[in-house]
Amino acid sequence: MLRIEARGLTKEFKSYKSRSGLMGAFRDLFSRNYMNIKAVDAIDLAINEGEMVGYIGENGAGKSTTIKMLTGILKPSSGFLRVNGMDPHRERENFVKTIGVVFGQRSQLWWDIAVQESFTLLKKVYRVSDAHYKRHMEHVIDVLDIEDLLARPVRKLSLGQRMRCELAAALIHNPPLLFLDEPTIGLDVLVKLKIRDFLKEMNKEYGTTVLLTTHDLSDIEALCSRVIMLDEGKVIYDGELNKLKEQMGSKKAVFVDFPYPVSLEKLESVTFGLPVSWSQIHPMQYRGVFRSEDLSVSHLLEAIIPSFEVTDLSIETMSTEEVVRKIYEEGFAHV
Amino acid sequence: MHYLSLFWYYMKQYFKSRMEYRTDLLNGIFSDLIFQTTNLVFILVVFQHTAFLEGWNKNEILFIYGFFLVPYAVFGTFFNLWNFQEKYIIKGEMDRVLTRPAHNLFQVMLETMDPPSLLGAITGMVIMGYSAFDMGMEIAWYDPFIFLGLVVSAALVYGGVYTGIAAIGFFSDSKTGITPMIWNIQNYGRYPVNIYNKVIKFILTWILPFAFVGVYPASYFLKKEEFAFYLYLTPVIGIVFFFLGITIWNIGVKNYRGAGS
Amino acid sequence: MFSMYVEMIRIRFLMMLAYRVNYYSGIAVYSINIGAYYFLWNAIYGDKVTMGGLTALQMVTYVSISWMARAFYFNNIDQEMAQEVKEGKVAIELIRPYHYLATKIMQAMGEGIFRFLFFSLPGMIIITFIFPIQYPSGFSIWGWYGISLLFSFFINTQINLITGLLTFFFYNNEGIMRAKRVLVDLFSGLILPISLYPEWAQAILNYLPFQAISYLPGMIFTGGIQGEQIFLSLGQQFLWILLLWIPIGMLWWQAKKNLVIQGG
Repeated sequence: MLRIEARGLTKEFKSYKSRSGLMGAFRDLFSRNYMNIKAVDAIDLAINEGEMVGYIGENGAGKSTTIKMLTGILKPSSGFLRVNGMDPHRERENFVKTIGVVFGQRSQLWWDIAVQESFTLLKKVYRVSDAHYKRHMEHVIDVLDIEDLLARPVRKLSLGQRMRCELAAALIHNPPLLFLDEPTIGLDVLVKLKIRDFLKEMNKEYGTTVLLTTHDLSDIEALCSRVIMLDEGKVIYDGELNKLKEQMGSKKAVFVDFPYPVSLEKLESVTFGLPVSWSQIHPMQYRGVFRSEDLSVSHLLEAIIPSFEVTDLSIETMSTEEVVRKIYEEGFAHV
Repeated sequence: MHYLSLFWYYMKQYFKSRMEYRTDLLNGIFSDLIFQTTNLVFILVVFQHTAFLEGWNKNEILFIYGFFLVPYAVFGTFFNLWNFQEKYIIKGEMDRVLTRPAHNLFQVMLETMDPPSLLGAITGMVIMGYSAFDMGMEIAWYDPFIFLGLVVSAALVYGGVYTGIAAIGFFSDSKTGITPMIWNIQNYGRYPVNIYNKVIKFILTWILPFAFVGVYPASYFLKKEEFAFYLYLTPVIGIVFFFLGITIWNIGVKNYRGAGS
Repeated sequence: MFSMYVEMIRIRFLMMLAYRVNYYSGIAVYSINIGAYYFLWNAIYGDKVTMGGLTALQMVTYVSISWMARAFYFNNIDQEMAQEVKEGKVAIELIRPYHYLATKIMQAMGEGIFRFLFFSLPGMIIITFIFPIQYPSGFSIWGWYGISLLFSFFINTQINLITGLLTFFFYNNEGIMRAKRVLVDLFSGLILPISLYPEWAQAILNYLPFQAISYLPGMIFTGGIQGEQIFLSLGQQFLWILLLWIPIGMLWWQAKKNLVIQGG
């Protein structure tokens, strides 16, 4: 069963450009230069029950806007959207009973009162029965290890403690679909691990579908088998994380140090014909990037050594982090 | 029924969290009281120098002011929307509200509820009681019910106007400064509308109907026949403006653009 | 040293300019209030000629000029101080090479100049078109009024410093500050000229600094105070400026001591 199904989902924002100067400001009072910005541009999504999907992209790529449409906060400008078989914005009040949402930068809990009180209130809001609450939440509280925090007011919790409570709060009604927007932002490694374990546990136990946006790709590597990458409102990759890495993971970077300044042209001329691209770090250090299938380090050195003296050499395999950054910077075609 | 129990729960939470900030609570009550007294002092001082204000005597003006405070207190308790744009739109709290299964305006109202405002109703009733006693007003057995109906109608007028104004926040990402303007216009409603010129009287009756939160309903008890028509219109205006406010709000929610991030 | 404070005035002025939209609605609010009191006073006067020594025309002038003067002297530096105390920013302010209170006064000054140029002046012009206003005829009256207005700015700002400094002792004095705002409006003569109050109340108000904020300059402008009385009023205002430094000094001294003990 499809949890999320979107075809041609689009969100346009009308925005205006201010004219400059006093005269411009005056003209703006009467007519504005409107322009439409497509924050999300005709994307298609199909996410199955029980999947854990990473939704990544640069700031401003349209991730948050998508999440807000999927959760019923924003009304799509056009396109077809069904989440849990419903139209999120139109059937909002019914729909949101079937999802859980965690916004990393925003608290779901009431600041001044004890965590337990917030839970009780949310239980009321979502009309969860006592028996169901007990059965389900005892487990959640246990796995997240927040038993001791329940009596404390939210404002006295550390960020990590609060985030665990936020997660528990989003799951009070045991929703089959969970949206997490930057859930690990600013958290230390131990808390991150705890949260990841918890999400895996929920996924295994209840088959909870998870859509996760994050800047921390290690979250995605640990949790998601599938990633969807967004750029300028369009989906530029949708598939297995492993494949993404395979396509680029074989890239290597080699740093070569020379005892004297070397020009880029000279270096390029001695390695002419080899599939390597050089960039200058400074005149005495260069970085060469190549695919390990195409070229070996020893071949490269054989080409350089006769012409230059080499004082140091280091080799790096590109991390997922770098791979993704490279995609952000250069687009998919270059990879 | 569900909404009623939710209301009760929020109410309990409110008091639990307020108890932590008792001084805030006292501060609020104290400054409300001072504000109400200031207006009272104005009326009392003015009537030391004159016996009538456009045909209304001191007790009648006091009675209108007392009445004016009661629906305002009811409204202030439930529609504490003054900082709506800042808190919910600019800071993005609306996102959270929209992911919860209850009507969004209802949630915002419950979250911002301000029960201490209700004390203003006591001040108002004391002022009304004093002036009614002083002028020897006769009160029929059904008058308390009519009073209740008029108060609810007047509170709906407020609710409608300010819900509509708050909804402007959905369309603009910076402060518009409209609310303080309306709030100051509302204070025109404390006095009989016949002291104003025709344009202002028209505005206070049909456009920003703040004459329906003070003079018109209070004229029932003061037996001022000249306002009888408007008196009977009070519940109608209350309901019409309330629905207008909700409609603008709902359009606003459709247009909600989300916070910046 | 001095140029630093001038810079503070300038910065605040620019800040206000950046938020100028707020002031369009501000002018509207003040006009709405003046309008309300215009009708109210006309109804109150009915067919009486004078009340508290003012004719109906003088009263309308008094109300208008007082509100526009309020636009100039009014500021929220006490709220800002309270905010800084609560957020712990005061400790940082104290290690900076300037006098904290002087800084606050300069900021208020920058705000005041902005409000005077962009609010009081245009507001007054708008009001002139709507309501009958009687401007003073003599050039000297304008001059004395100007001085009196400047004095009222200082007195109001000093009172704000006092309520602001109370935050150091009560932590949460939001209520005191809000009450002060309403009381200053009432006792300064903005809402009611002091001469209308009953004798006993006038006697008390005479010994309070509030009337020096709005009533005295307002009366100078409308001609309710004339001749030598003007100098007496200015002297009275000046005396209050001097006197108010005493509680401010004491509170500040105590506040600094508290701050050191609590460690900010």
